[in-house]
Amino acid sequence: MADAVRTQGLYKRFGQQVAVGGVDLVVPRGSFAGLVGPNGAGKTTTLSMITGLLRPDGGRIEIDGHDVWADPISVKAHIGVLPEGLRLFERLSGRELLTYGGQLRGIPLDEVGRRADELLKVMDLAEAQDKLVVDYSTGMRKKIGLAAALLHNPRVLFLDEPFEGVDPVSANTLVEVLRRFTASGSTVVFSSHVMDLVERLCDWVSVMNRGLVVAQGPLDDVRRGRTLNEAFLDLVGVRGNGEEGLSWLGSGSTP
Amino acid sequence: MTTARLFVRLKLSLIRGGLRGDAGRQAGFVISLVAAFLAAVAGFALLSLARLAPSGIALDLVSVAFAVFAAGWVVVPLMAFGLDETLDPARLALFPLTTRQLATGMFAASAAGPWPLASLAALCGGVVALAHGPGGVLIGVPAVLLLFAFCLTASRLVTTALSGVLRTRRGRDLLAVVAILGLLLVQVPNLLLNRGLSGDPVRVLASAGDFLRWTPPGMAAHAIADGGFAGLAELVVVAASVVVLARLWIAALRYALVRPDSSTGGGGSVRRSKTSRFLPGGMLGAVVAKELKYARREPRARVNWLSAVFVSAVFMFSLRGPGGGNGSWAAIGPACLAAVVMGLQAANLFGIDGRSLWMNVVAVATPRGLRTDLAGRHLAMAVVAVPLLALASVAAALVAGNAAWAPAAALTAWGVLGVAMGVGSITSVLVPYTYPERMNAFSGAAPGQGGQAFASSTATMLVTGVLALPIALPVMLGFTWWAVLAVPYGAVAAWAGRRLAAGIGFARLPELLTAVSRPT
Repeated sequence: MADAVRTQGLYKRFGQQVAVGGVDLVVPRGSFAGLVGPNGAGKTTTLSMITGLLRPDGGRIEIDGHDVWADPISVKAHIGVLPEGLRLFERLSGRELLTYGGQLRGIPLDEVGRRADELLKVMDLAEAQDKLVVDYSTGMRKKIGLAAALLHNPRVLFLDEPFEGVDPVSANTLVEVLRRFTASGSTVVFSSHVMDLVERLCDWVSVMNRGLVVAQGPLDDVRRGRTLNEAFLDLVGVRGNGEEGLSWLGSGSTP
Repeated sequence: MTTARLFVRLKLSLIRGGLRGDAGRQAGFVISLVAAFLAAVAGFALLSLARLAPSGIALDLVSVAFAVFAAGWVVVPLMAFGLDETLDPARLALFPLTTRQLATGMFAASAAGPWPLASLAALCGGVVALAHGPGGVLIGVPAVLLLFAFCLTASRLVTTALSGVLRTRRGRDLLAVVAILGLLLVQVPNLLLNRGLSGDPVRVLASAGDFLRWTPPGMAAHAIADGGFAGLAELVVVAASVVVLARLWIAALRYALVRPDSSTGGGGSVRRSKTSRFLPGGMLGAVVAKELKYARREPRARVNWLSAVFVSAVFMFSLRGPGGGNGSWAAIGPACLAAVVMGLQAANLFGIDGRSLWMNVVAVATPRGLRTDLAGRHLAMAVVAVPLLALASVAAALVAGNAAWAPAAALTAWGVLGVAMGVGSITSVLVPYTYPERMNAFSGAAPGQGGQAFASSTATMLVTGVLALPIALPVMLGFTWWAVLAVPYGAVAAWAGRRLAAGIGFARLPELLTAVSRPT
């Protein structure tokens, strides 16, 4: 059986800067996978290329065994995406956004309405469903974005920083929905730099640093008895321990 | 004084920081410096020249000029609000400053910069124009300084009072539309003047001068002219008005600093649309429904439509020659131009979607899908433009003097619209560009994409013009029955354009997405 996601030598550069320098990412089917790495490691660029939003300069990407760039018909219908930066149609209401996304994918209108109702209820957005997305808070935007990504029941879901800036209550809702989703055999790939969360949720981890995957595998293989945070800091190399300088900081010095 | 210096330095380093490492902006800044210098010299010279006029007229001229300066100071920063961080009091709320210090600092910061200094220099021209003898100069210099202070405080008062509103989404939406409308309305007197409707300019000037006599700008002008004790008394009144404005401003500032930030939350609900049941299902209907909602709700889309209608109206009236309508082309020409102007919006079909276009990109898996997407956009545009063009044709026919020309004009205009949409769909995929997040009157594209915007609209206009000739030319030459062919011709052109554009566009969807999601 093919892996849910498999890339080979994925490469992208912007001008002189190599953003992604030969990434071999593997995510087995049915896993709840975390893609972790410091800022600027290339997580967003990798996810954009995998989801067909950014053209790679080199390498291959397969989702469920189909090449994303050569065979988009077999891929696009079966993936759901929540890209970075909450880029949504601001002037639609939450409900209209879901309807739009569902209809784009050719789902009949009454079926879209039924699914939207349920998603809005689960995401606790039923009250705000007729407000414009531009007036939503960050947590609400992440939730409506996730709802839009789930509406066509994708087999693989790609989420870029889904928990960033989300309050604990909304985060809990997101987690519950995603857990149910993976329990049914679907795959979730999400990027984050909150290690505790990745440790709690994921059974598969890929660690990126400076445009490369530096470790990947089942969670326990990657952390090897340490916390994921310690393993991560070892893998990416700690940059300064914050003890040199700053002698004036703290009580007892002049302000 | 130290706060004032600190704020001026803050403003200067903000300007410097904004320029770092961006050749385009550096060039823009140099151009704006040169422009400010030229404006200062020209303003000073023009105002000084008023001295050559009879003293009454000179006085009225300077009063009007001073008032225009004051009004400009109130309006222009509003349109540029958000570009200058020193102007938003909310950003400074956390610093341990008293309101008075804050007021002094912001006053100093807004006086610093090429344009404020340029307007001060220009205002000084008023002294040259009006002062009689050393007494006039002695009064004139403080009068100009006071007027400058008046402009600054008035402008600060208005931005501060409105800063709460401007930080809400609805406030900004409204302002975007109002600002563009205001800019368009400025053209109206111009048009009226061109048509010779205005009366004697000297009389208009005199009544404006009378009207402004007792406003602070008018008083400042009169103070310079009167000199002596009368001038001094007028100066005291201007100074008092500055103090009152400053007090109001400090109060507004105090209020703005403690008021909760209303930029998040709020916002009313929208009604669920009932029209969707009349639309086709699937992707086509989805795109049409979304585009129609955007035409209503997105300020940039509203502005685009409003200005298209406005420009069409201007064409209609200015094309009518002094000899009145001579032939059916006087009705058909303006209608076709209106179609081109409205069709120009189709030249960058994906621009308004901008960064949210990814939703379509991940859903579109075949060129056929992109064709449906384009068709939805065209259909939505036609839903708005077809009735508008019908109206325009009737109006143009009436203005030209024969209502019977309306049907031919409407049919031809609809055909031209189809051609423009077909051509536009190709430029939409070949030279897409980002619309700036904040609408402004001076640029229709994100920084660095001005060339694309220009190329795209010029190409659409020229190619549409050429392709529309086979239908428009015979009709304008008098073969009005030829107009029945216009709509089928336009439909075929739009269809062919979509077909071609879908093939090109599908192959470069990621590049298309990048081009319309540039940071602005």
